[in-house]
Amino acid sequence: MKETRLGEFEEVILLLVGILGEEAYSFKISEEFKEQTKRNVSIGAVHSTLTRLEEKGFLKSAMGQSTAERGGRRKRIYTITASGRQVLEQAKDFRTSLWQQFPGFAVDMVGLNFVLR
Amino acid sequence: VSTKPTSPPRLAQKFLLWFVREELAEEVLGDLEEQFYRKLTSKSPARAKLIYWYQVLHYLRPFAITKSSFSHSNHTTMFRHNLLLSYRNILRHKSSFIINLVGLTTALTCALLIFLWIRDEVAINKFHTNDARMLQIIEHSQLASGITSLNSTPDFLAENMVADFPEIEAATGITPSGWFGFFTLKSEDKFYKATGQFAGSDFFKIFSYPLISGSKESILSDKLGVAISEDLAYKIFNTSENVIGKSIRVEVQGLSDIVSVTGVFENVPSQSTEKFDFILSWELWYEWSDRVGRNINWGNHGPETIVLLNETADPKQFSSKIHNYIKSKDENSHITMSAVPYSSLYLYNKFENGIQEGGRLVNIWLFGIIALFIMAVACINFMNLTTARAATRLKEVGVKKALGASKGNLVGQYLTESMLISLLAMLLSVALVAILAPIFGSITDKKLGLPLDSTFWLIILVVCIGTGLLAGSYPAVYLSRIKTLLAIKGGKLQASWSEIWVRKGLVVFQFTISMVLIVGVIVVYQQLDFIQSKGLGYEKENVIYFDKEGKTVDNLDAFLTEIRKLPGVMAASATQNIILGSNNSTVGLGWIGKNPEDLIRFEVLTVDYDLLPTLGIKLANGRDYNRAFAEEKSKIIFNEAAIKAMGLENPVGEQVDFWGEKREVIGVVENFHFETLHQAVNPLVIQLNPSNTMKIVVKIAPNATRSTLEAIEQTHDAFNPGYALNVHFLDQDYQKQYQAEQLISTLSAYFAGIAILISCLGLFGLASFTTARRTKEIGIRKILGAGKWRIIYMLTMDFTVMVVVAIVIAIPLSYFISTSWLQNFAYAISLSWWVFLAAAATGLLIAWTTMYLQTSKAASINPADCLRAE
Repeated sequence: MKETRLGEFEEVILLLVGILGEEAYSFKISEEFKEQTKRNVSIGAVHSTLTRLEEKGFLKSAMGQSTAERGGRRKRIYTITASGRQVLEQAKDFRTSLWQQFPGFAVDMVGLNFVLR
Repeated sequence: VSTKPTSPPRLAQKFLLWFVREELAEEVLGDLEEQFYRKLTSKSPARAKLIYWYQVLHYLRPFAITKSSFSHSNHTTMFRHNLLLSYRNILRHKSSFIINLVGLTTALTCALLIFLWIRDEVAINKFHTNDARMLQIIEHSQLASGITSLNSTPDFLAENMVADFPEIEAATGITPSGWFGFFTLKSEDKFYKATGQFAGSDFFKIFSYPLISGSKESILSDKLGVAISEDLAYKIFNTSENVIGKSIRVEVQGLSDIVSVTGVFENVPSQSTEKFDFILSWELWYEWSDRVGRNINWGNHGPETIVLLNETADPKQFSSKIHNYIKSKDENSHITMSAVPYSSLYLYNKFENGIQEGGRLVNIWLFGIIALFIMAVACINFMNLTTARAATRLKEVGVKKALGASKGNLVGQYLTESMLISLLAMLLSVALVAILAPIFGSITDKKLGLPLDSTFWLIILVVCIGTGLLAGSYPAVYLSRIKTLLAIKGGKLQASWSEIWVRKGLVVFQFTISMVLIVGVIVVYQQLDFIQSKGLGYEKENVIYFDKEGKTVDNLDAFLTEIRKLPGVMAASATQNIILGSNNSTVGLGWIGKNPEDLIRFEVLTVDYDLLPTLGIKLANGRDYNRAFAEEKSKIIFNEAAIKAMGLENPVGEQVDFWGEKREVIGVVENFHFETLHQAVNPLVIQLNPSNTMKIVVKIAPNATRSTLEAIEQTHDAFNPGYALNVHFLDQDYQKQYQAEQLISTLSAYFAGIAILISCLGLFGLASFTTARRTKEIGIRKILGAGKWRIIYMLTMDFTVMVVVAIVIAIPLSYFISTSWLQNFAYAISLSWWVFLAAAATGLLIAWTTMYLQTSKAASINPADCLRAE
């Protein structure tokens, strides 16, 4: 049976795929990751996570267009599946419920930081 | 400017394509390339390439790696399987694994340390670029007692040979720095002690001692020039730059001159046998020789001569060409010459009948063989423990064979196991060597460390694989030969006779080696003890000596009188050289009845009054030099060996001819060992000539050493301001003569200990194994009434027989080895039977103790425990 829980790094990657839309392929995602979190990550690490998320059924992928800057090679574009969306919702709800139990804090998602492994 | 567009590193791409799964290749390469060109816009091409490599390496993840090249191959599956089984086996038999690992690690560490030592020893004096063309001149003289070979040559030999032999490119004379002890240097009213030598202007063209400043050609061409080492430059001038032209006053043994620095050379490396802090010019050597009235002619032999042949000359031919060179210059000479490679003289330092033979080389063989033996002992442990365990692995072998494993598969399995252990042992011992090498170096007086060059690692790898193969081969072949049916039926393994013999033979071999080493340690120790305690004919305890320099040169008598007055000083005198070793010898002696054909070499000791009582040398006949008599300088004293060699009946009162002067024999001293105990006492002449002495010798009362030394130092400092007193102790110098033997003694003790330890480890493992297999038997015997000791006896007997056999083999072997080593000494201990008895007893005792540790446990088990399962 496939593991269906979401790790924190996986959650970020999944969100980034959603944000990037048509441009969601390994290199772009790793760039965006760096942009958003100010942390370095290798393309290989991102690619490996994407593959895992696909295996879990949260993503699906198809080969997209080729461009000259890639030496004419095609890229693999990832899109979020319904269950991917669902699992993101769950993760968010879970956190919100935790925040609500936190004493002295209103529900405020702005300051939320992910602890990345 | 290159216009070639930068592209991603090809090698990285190739590497990626090699391991990455085919279906991923396109997108991955695309992503990486896109990133590469993106990075190029903001970063340098080199940096972008580096990032590319980084990204490629980060693709080494399970999801991306192609399956076919790593996990689908049959071989890799088998290999993994072998590794897994090895791992499980190690876990199951922890004790034998630890025994093997400890044994192999210790042995490898020893072997590596010995290897480092040998490597350093072999490389000594070999670092000169011209090594192959550098020859040292050796002179041979036919004496009545045989051919003597020495490296002393006439002072002007080098320049004469350059003129006479076109094949010589350069040549130099060298006065070894050991001749002078310490020079006293003075610069701006400060005094320094340093070792130095004289050498010809070709010195730096022949030897590769790199220069920091000054030129090879001219550095030693000024008569009043000096080349100094970097260290000395720092010591005197606090810098090694811009010191050329600065002046230093050099002084030794009453001779001095002011010289100016002509260059600085890098400190002499530890792998050079010549040690010197500065070099003076050859012309100055001539002048100083002149000042002391030393004649330079074809009959006077002193300095060493080194020649550099040109590229085309053949050293062997050259050596035979110069055979009669000295005779061609001086018809009266009896000396022949040969030339041997300069660097070979370190290991081959002995001459037999004029031919260069071993010498230090013996030590290399000795330690090399010890290293091999220790390795063999450790490998034998491994073989024994593994084959002994064969029975417990019968089922495993049976099942594998039934499932179709070939002999090769099984061999692979066992070799994997042994390789794994040898690899582990190698890693551990490399770490150990890194820690121990400097310590080992300090014991052996070398600078040793873990070398980082590729040859060393290659050797490590070869030794590691070799050990694994050697240790694992027998068990592998043995186990893979077992019959399938027999194995799977779970039947008892009928150990074949040959197998038992091999195992027993190996134990016997181990113990034989250990026993020989024990005997060796005892014999070397006894001989060294003998050397320390043998009556030498003179007293070396509480005797100090120091250089005669500064004011003490001209006012020797006044100084000695002052010294003698000090409380605690028993006697004081002066001598030309310290009586340890050969320093000065002559054949220029005539007496009535001498056979003119016979050449007898006499050692010459030049002394001041009172040297004999100072050193406790006894007179056999006649009297010592005495101030009460007149014309003492025209008298002479011999030792008994000289009288015997000359064949004089009543020597006292006879006239002899010494260096062309008539001398009256006034006394004969008893033989004393002025050379090492390797040689018999040679003929000796003692002549009186206070102004030619160079060292002041003082005998101190036994109980007042410290206060007397302080008093002597105060007197010296008051008498000789500026000159630092550098005191030597005669007994310490005496010890130094036997450094090689001390080294052998220390090291063989260590290595014998280690060999015995490893042998015992093996015995322990074997004993634990046999007792484990016989627990049921022990249980039954105990029920039937056998006592604890009866059972221990039963279990021990088997091994005892092997140890006894080892003793029987080891005794004649060790007798032979010790006798041949003792032949190096003219004065040696006689081997007594108890040495062998002690070694045998030690061996047996150690073996028994080891086995007792194991068997006593087995013998005291409760029979109910081991029989219940039945």
